[in-house]
Amino acid sequence: MVPRDRLLVSGLVLALVGAGVLLVVPGRRAAEKSGAASRAQAVEDAHARHRPPTQGSGLYQYAPPVGRRFDPSQVYDPAPPPPGRAPSGIREYTLVIEEDVPHEVAPGVVVPAWTFNRTVPGPVLRATEGETLRITLVNKGTLPHTIHFHGIHPATMDGVFELVPPGGQFIYEFVARPFGIMPYHCHSMPTSQHIHNGLYGMVIIDPKEGRKPMRELALVMSAFDLDRDGEADFYAWNGRAFQYADNPIELVRGEPVRLYVMNIFEEAMVPHLHGTLYHLYPSGTSLTPTEYTDVKSLNIAERALLEFQYDFPGDFMFQCHVTEHMEQGLMGWFHVVDKKDLARHRER
Amino acid sequence: MGSPDSKVSRPLVFASALAPVLLLAGILYLLLARGTGIYLEAPAPIEKLEFERVVLRPGEIRAHVINTGPETLTLAQVQVGWISRASWEFEVAPSATISRLGRAVVRIPYPWTPGEPYEIVLITANNLIFSHEIEMAAETPTPDRQMLGAFALLGVYVGVIPVFLGILWLPFLRSLPQRWYFFFLSLTAGLLVFLGVDALEDALENAERVPGPFQGVAVILIGLSVSLLGLYAITGWLKQRRRQAKEMNTALLLAYSIAFGIGVHNLGEGLAIGGAYALGEFATSFLLVVGFMVHNLTEGVAVVAPVVRTEFNWRHLVWLGLVAGGPTIAGTLLGAFAYTALWAVLFLAVGAGAVFQVVIEIIRYQARLAGAGSLASGWSLAGFVLGLLVMYVTGLFVTV
Repeated sequence: MVPRDRLLVSGLVLALVGAGVLLVVPGRRAAEKSGAASRAQAVEDAHARHRPPTQGSGLYQYAPPVGRRFDPSQVYDPAPPPPGRAPSGIREYTLVIEEDVPHEVAPGVVVPAWTFNRTVPGPVLRATEGETLRITLVNKGTLPHTIHFHGIHPATMDGVFELVPPGGQFIYEFVARPFGIMPYHCHSMPTSQHIHNGLYGMVIIDPKEGRKPMRELALVMSAFDLDRDGEADFYAWNGRAFQYADNPIELVRGEPVRLYVMNIFEEAMVPHLHGTLYHLYPSGTSLTPTEYTDVKSLNIAERALLEFQYDFPGDFMFQCHVTEHMEQGLMGWFHVVDKKDLARHRER
Repeated sequence: MGSPDSKVSRPLVFASALAPVLLLAGILYLLLARGTGIYLEAPAPIEKLEFERVVLRPGEIRAHVINTGPETLTLAQVQVGWISRASWEFEVAPSATISRLGRAVVRIPYPWTPGEPYEIVLITANNLIFSHEIEMAAETPTPDRQMLGAFALLGVYVGVIPVFLGILWLPFLRSLPQRWYFFFLSLTAGLLVFLGVDALEDALENAERVPGPFQGVAVILIGLSVSLLGLYAITGWLKQRRRQAKEMNTALLLAYSIAFGIGVHNLGEGLAIGGAYALGEFATSFLLVVGFMVHNLTEGVAVVAPVVRTEFNWRHLVWLGLVAGGPTIAGTLLGAFAYTALWAVLFLAVGAGAVFQVVIEIIRYQARLAGAGSLASGWSLAGFVLGLLVMYVTGLFVTV
């Protein structure tokens, strides 16, 4: 019985292995051939969706699902207020702080933001050097808030110790100087939370002699950490991820553009233009550019004035060159058109 | 008050049984209509979304999700992480708005590349984030002839071949003197206890993946106790029948019990292996297959240990091997193409219960044959400990 057992069982094992091999080998070659072709096609299809906005609905690697685009009326206007002088020599602004204002940070994703005048970032304030800036802060929130301005001003106007209680008001008044791009943000404790939640904005102070008039854009770079894990989930030009990807900014070929850009997040950011280079005025505090480049690292709270123009029409991306930031929202499009096409394009 | 056995009319009995139920229904209706009166709102929205299965196709990631939170939720954005995360386009079927315990499939046209790690990040309209990690991307097997063959073969390698190889030791075991018999029975008990604990550990591990409302740990408890008690009842019934018909000897019956217990265990193990592959958490490597083969070789020994000193038809050996090893094939196939953590947990728990029941049978069998004292003999104790050690050492090869 013993040898027969051994023979039978080993025969059975061999038969099983044989059956398994026979099951797999035939047809494998044919399957591999057709499999490779369909695989290549599928990968090609996935990439084919990356089209510029004018060539269909797809945008570079990001297209919101149907019905989840930004409402164009909600898009933050990239044009800052025009330069000029107040007849009285006093520039007056009122900034109202509210908490938990619903803010659509990416299409369909709403966060409770803390806002100046119900937008993130707050409005761009503008004055000419030497004018008096008079800014009234109205606190409609439940926490004490302040406004801290960068620039040259008395200690009592620095917005660190002058906590404005809920329901309170405070008037900041100082002479606007020096010229350049100056951030403003809440400095109430914990400042990290007050800034992250949306209490920041940009002040543009123009030089007395003025700058050459041209098309102007103001962009604030920031980010939102939805789950408070120390890693931002969305990065944004002017408070909303991808809003200028959904709604490209139209520029005219050959016409100069001035871009005021500021980084208010806790990571370095690198504004980068495709298809052209820019003249760089660091912090906007000089009248002569220091560099002609297309990447400039903006450290935390750093800002820059960029001047450029496009020599070719078409769709050009503007992005943060930190690819993570770009892929999470710091990406948009300039749609550059010929002047003669402009009217026709607007009609459409 | 009448005594408990006093005659009560039938309708009254029914009414008394239904009264609490009807009253509860009434109260629930009132609560639904008027509210609970308890005004405790959560400071932030509570949402929970769990990943049941992730399918990778060329140029596409498909996440099967289930809403296990208390409320309906809406998916608003999707990101795919590779070193850093990137917002990506997506489609949700049937709808991005998912009701409680509702399911949806999120399709992401992402050109992933094999072997890379990815993270799938789903962001709801209330800005809550749910993510799933793919440790190593590999195309999810589609049930075509080639993949069916491959996973069946994996089952054959991991389950069937080692069991039959173990059975091949039968002639050698038979040549050993009588006193070795209890040694090998105890060794089998040791192997099985190890297997049972191992299966429970796997079950607990998989239970973490079971969506909350389905209570993975409770499923383990149910699977374990139902299989333990159920098999107890079945073997009891079989023994009674055998006593009447004298058609099968106790040793062979015990061998079949062991084979069945190991078979269910192997089904669960196959499910876990196939499922891990389907979830992109596991690559079938040569070493791992070899590890499982060495580990499961001992299962064959366990199956034939009771019949070493018994004459029987050799065909039983084939059946024993198939009962113990065959279910692995079903397990790997089901796991690869239809994995859900819930089924893996259930089968692993049932397997553990079956294995523990068999250990009890072995102990009772030995006690009946040689007296309860033989259980504490040096041979038995050494066998049991060696059984545990063999499983531990061969387990070193299996690192999933």
